[in-house]
Amino acid sequence: MATQALYRKWRSRTFDEVIGQEHVTRTLQNALATDRVVHAYLFTGPRGTGKTTTARLLAKAVNCVGDTDVKPCGECSICRAVDEGRLMDMIEIDAASNRGIDEIRDLREKVGFRPGEARIKFYIIDEVHMLTDPAFNALLKTLEEPPPHVIFVLATTEPHKIPATIISRCQRFDFRRIPLSEITRWLTHIADAEGLAVEPEALEYIARQSSGSMRDAISLLDQLTAYGSDTITLAQVQAVLGAVTPQSVMELADSLIDGDLARGLDVINQAIGDGAEPRQFTREFVEYLRGLLLLKMGDGAGLLRASVPDETLARMKEQVPRLSPRTLLRATRLFNEAALEMKVGFLPQLPLELAFVEAVMDETAAESPVATTPSAPAQKQPVTPVIPPTPSAPPSPTKGPSPTKGLAPAAEVSPPQPPAPPASPTPAGDLTFDVVESHWQDILTRLRQTNKMVEALMRSVRLVAVDGNSIIVEAPSDLLKGRIEQPGSKSHVEQCIDQVIGVPARLRCVMKGEYRPRPQPAATPAVEVAQDDQTRKEDAESDSAPDGPKENNPGALDPDEDPMLQEALNLGAKVKNVE
Amino acid sequence: MERPIIGHEWAVDLLLKGLTIGRVSHATLIVGPPNIGKATIARVFAQALNCTGEAPVPCGECVSCRKVISGNHPDVRVLDAPGQSLKIDEVRGLQRELSLSPHESRWRVVVLCEFERATAEAANALLKTLEEPPAQVVLILTATEADVLLPTIVSRCQVLSLRPLPVTLVKEALVSRWGADPVQAELLARLSGGRLGWAVRALEDEELLARRDEHLGDLASLMSKGRVDRLAYAAGLSRDPESAKGALALWLGWWRDVLLLASGSRVPVTNVDQGAMLHQQAEQVTLRQAQRMVAQLQSTIRNLDQNVNLRLALEVLLLSLPSVDGNIGR
Repeated sequence: MATQALYRKWRSRTFDEVIGQEHVTRTLQNALATDRVVHAYLFTGPRGTGKTTTARLLAKAVNCVGDTDVKPCGECSICRAVDEGRLMDMIEIDAASNRGIDEIRDLREKVGFRPGEARIKFYIIDEVHMLTDPAFNALLKTLEEPPPHVIFVLATTEPHKIPATIISRCQRFDFRRIPLSEITRWLTHIADAEGLAVEPEALEYIARQSSGSMRDAISLLDQLTAYGSDTITLAQVQAVLGAVTPQSVMELADSLIDGDLARGLDVINQAIGDGAEPRQFTREFVEYLRGLLLLKMGDGAGLLRASVPDETLARMKEQVPRLSPRTLLRATRLFNEAALEMKVGFLPQLPLELAFVEAVMDETAAESPVATTPSAPAQKQPVTPVIPPTPSAPPSPTKGPSPTKGLAPAAEVSPPQPPAPPASPTPAGDLTFDVVESHWQDILTRLRQTNKMVEALMRSVRLVAVDGNSIIVEAPSDLLKGRIEQPGSKSHVEQCIDQVIGVPARLRCVMKGEYRPRPQPAATPAVEVAQDDQTRKEDAESDSAPDGPKENNPGALDPDEDPMLQEALNLGAKVKNVE
Repeated sequence: MERPIIGHEWAVDLLLKGLTIGRVSHATLIVGPPNIGKATIARVFAQALNCTGEAPVPCGECVSCRKVISGNHPDVRVLDAPGQSLKIDEVRGLQRELSLSPHESRWRVVVLCEFERATAEAANALLKTLEEPPAQVVLILTATEADVLLPTIVSRCQVLSLRPLPVTLVKEALVSRWGADPVQAELLARLSGGRLGWAVRALEDEELLARRDEHLGDLASLMSKGRVDRLAYAAGLSRDPESAKGALALWLGWWRDVLLLASGSRVPVTNVDQGAMLHQQAEQVTLRQAQRMVAQLQSTIRNLDQNVNLRLALEVLLLSLPSVDGNIGR
């Protein structure tokens, strides 16, 4: 005979044993005491929080014939029959396998008959979200006005799938996730009663892994008893779950902070080689990052103390100052996405690796907006890419002199104005991101009147920033970029902008994801200007991208090609005449 | 006696030990990447449950074991239909069958392979059975990942999450059990990513390696070709969806290697036999390019699962493949 799984054996037998759902049990008990039990209930909530259990308890309580004050007594014939699953008048329906209208019609026919041995005929319709629409509708009348000897309990994990007409006929109770401490307490109780020796840390770890579901927690405990050894240790739990050592997590965080790609990848693969489950690793790392985030954003220490060991907390505190909030946020987001990545192929660690690489590379890119350092060409000769070279390549974490202000997201701040020379014909102040953005539709409309081709092109790009008098747009592919940069279309757009906004502007097209805002001019303008010039030169170089369209006439001076001219334009000059 | 399963000792021990001490979980979910040995473990466990031979179970020689191995055991049902979804009617049929007691042995065992094949209705229909099955019933589910199943399903099972085997173990097994040549075994073990099942299949299917060489060669040569050639190649490849998917998986492994090398990490690469070529490419491309390529390959593979147009997806992918001579414009 099979031993019953612990989660079945330890199904709560009284309302007091239903853990963490006092708001439900107290209400039900009061209803029982004052004889105000209604004819239809809807129990909703996440898995393993006690819906079916409470439904069965209620079935016992309304029918209990024991002479105790607190119902159910658990002793009388009815209570025992329910516990053993043999009470004829408690009908538990698996709505997921009996989901059609025929089953409901059958139910309606039988509802009329009086109960056999108990006072009340008790229907539990479990997984009720799987009923078909006609089945739900067939149930409506019965649910609203059943015979006096009938009580319905509908239970589901997915209340959003239940029609409003059903919900409005029921008293609804929402079960909550069970708090960590309560699960731990109950697990300790079970372990004691079953005579299992379990380390307290192991129990707490199990409780944390179960994310508020009692069944998950007990299941896991059950599984560990099969080891049959004397004591269940934390190490065993972690081995079964494919858990990660805190050291690997901390080391990965260090590598992220230092921007050390090679080390981070080593850490990941080492941990996986040692038996860590990649998704579990990702989740734990997200958890860790969240901890860092809480610390960074204020006094998170209090919140974390309950769930994080002191040792880890100390390490976190040491790491926090080395991280900018923006980096932290971006990393958390990236790893969270990786944790949610549904499909893993034969390389389960790939999403994690990729998230890490991306987080580090964005970091180095954001920290050194000055593109490739002057020594770069000697360093590594990147092949001509389909995607033009990124201004961010150096894998080493070049902690540039750039101020952290520059890290603010491009969309939020209106881009910095370069210090315009006094000779500038147009005051640069006239052209800001907001102005351009508000006129963007007008510009497109005007383009449409004159050249539909160009308008279509412009509709496929996204306005990202305005820098001085350059309007920067992002193209999703180099093909589009090439088309936009053709002198004809480009000047056409510029003309239109001039007409609409009244300020002569230059259009610059970059590849998607490549635009980085320049550092804000800081307190020492002299240095900043010098640096700005550097950036500009780099920009100019990257503008004359390798696959840009060549001018037919080799003698002509193409404003797009000449770095000198480019720089002059950036400083506010205007092209008068191209010969 | 030879162990019935290579590797995964902890999982097998957990199951068999539970059997010896009389704690058999009524529902077990085995998860892990494809071809790692989930179904194998499930079958061995089914054998062990009903084995009548001498300990250690499964003996593999008693009548019951032999019936399970040949697939004739009346109380052991294996539902395995790769690629087809598991419908609610099958689950209902199963429920009827399970309500009867076993014909001749201790346990009625049902192995539901690749449970992610189950439709939402079928999965929900199994919930109640999975939670409280009739006595003497053991359900074994397998899936690539716990997260692709309903959380309510997972929560009712004891979950065993299989991990890739160490490369050396796969290699040894290939040499000792399947009599592979050590050099080839090493390569296959690496390529398999710790999935013995795949390695064995590759060993038996000689074309597999030839196809791999071909696809990798194509990838390298495409990098020095222009748009026209790339589009033509995409069109050709899209005619055979199966081989296209194989090629994408290969390329993903390849570019991950490039990324690893370019980052300077010490993690061993997968394509060991192509070290020189890998190093060369790692020199040629920037880290960012490698990262983009991996990300793009991954998203292409994901998109294909969601029924995007294969040819379009391949075209987009190949157009963004870095170019070595800069003649993409042509």
